Amino acid sequence: MMLIPCPWCGHRDAAEFAYLGEPSPRPDPSTATPEQWRGYLYLRDNVAGPVTERWYHRMGCRRRLLVERDTTTNEVRPHRSLVEEES
Amino acid sequence: MDDTTAVARSAISPAPPETVVAGWAVSGRRSTGALTLTDVSPLAKVAVRAGVDGAMSRALDVPFGRISRDVGALDGADAGLLVVGSGPGEWLVLGAPGAQATISERLGRLAERSTPGASADSGELVTVVDLTHGRALMRLTGPAAADLLARECAVDLTDAACPDGSALRTAVAGLATDIVRDDRDGTPSYLLHCERSSGQYLFDALLDAGTDLGVDVDGFTLTDPRGEPRATAHS
Repeated sequence: MMLIPCPWCGHRDAAEFAYLGEPSPRPDPSTATPEQWRGYLYLRDNVAGPVTERWYHRMGCRRRLLVERDTTTNEVRPHRSLVEEES
Repeated sequence: MDDTTAVARSAISPAPPETVVAGWAVSGRRSTGALTLTDVSPLAKVAVRAGVDGAMSRALDVPFGRISRDVGALDGADAGLLVVGSGPGEWLVLGAPGAQATISERLGRLAERSTPGASADSGELVTVVDLTHGRALMRLTGPAAADLLARECAVDLTDAACPDGSALRTAVAGLATDIVRDDRDGTPSYLLHCERSSGQYLFDALLDAGTDLGVDVDGFTLTDPRGEPRATAHS
């Protein structure tokens, strides 16, 4: 079982969350090239080691959050920014 | 004619004998067991959403994770109104059967008082939604209630982590469920609130899981043996 540290609810089972992936800035639609869109939509770094990830606490506080996860050990830590600002 | 009177039905089939209380078809069964499960879906359920630190939040003054039966800002509200801090910027208000319109109206007035001069551009957005017929609500009562819940839920429900007056949302039997610890006369008791379409499943899952603990179905009443709000003020 993997525990995700939710800043609102505390440590909860990862099954309560939806994985939203690596945060990446959305390119400007008016100027982005097809290659940039493809990269934004489909290409991920897939790093072996610590990565920053977005998760959505769908069965809890319904907030999105950032965590740092080591993809080789599944060690999960709260991200320093704690809660991602709601857009 | 009496036999054409509209009767509301909960998502959960009433255990026989079926009877009608406050316009709802409910179970008339009476249990004396130590661990009981009651469908309390007839209670009025109203959801409020507002800013986490906004004016409405300050007016309600019930933080995420706590409950209150004494929210002074809902002036004139009948005794037994239960305000649950069910999420960050989310509240669930429970009241007597049939009280949903009154509760919604009072919450609307409170929102207007709390955010004077608010406009669509600058004001805080507050939503009040009547969920009474859209959700299922059940009450699990007994000294072994936490032991039964622990079989379907991964969260620590010991008294230290989840004392009387706590509220949280988590997965119970795989469903997103609001858990509200609301003890009855010193006996541990939990309100469980989930989507209507999942209500029967959650009810049956708890009965299945608690067979060896002796969990028994108890019917819904307004006579207040478990401290449920009375309906007389609104009938």
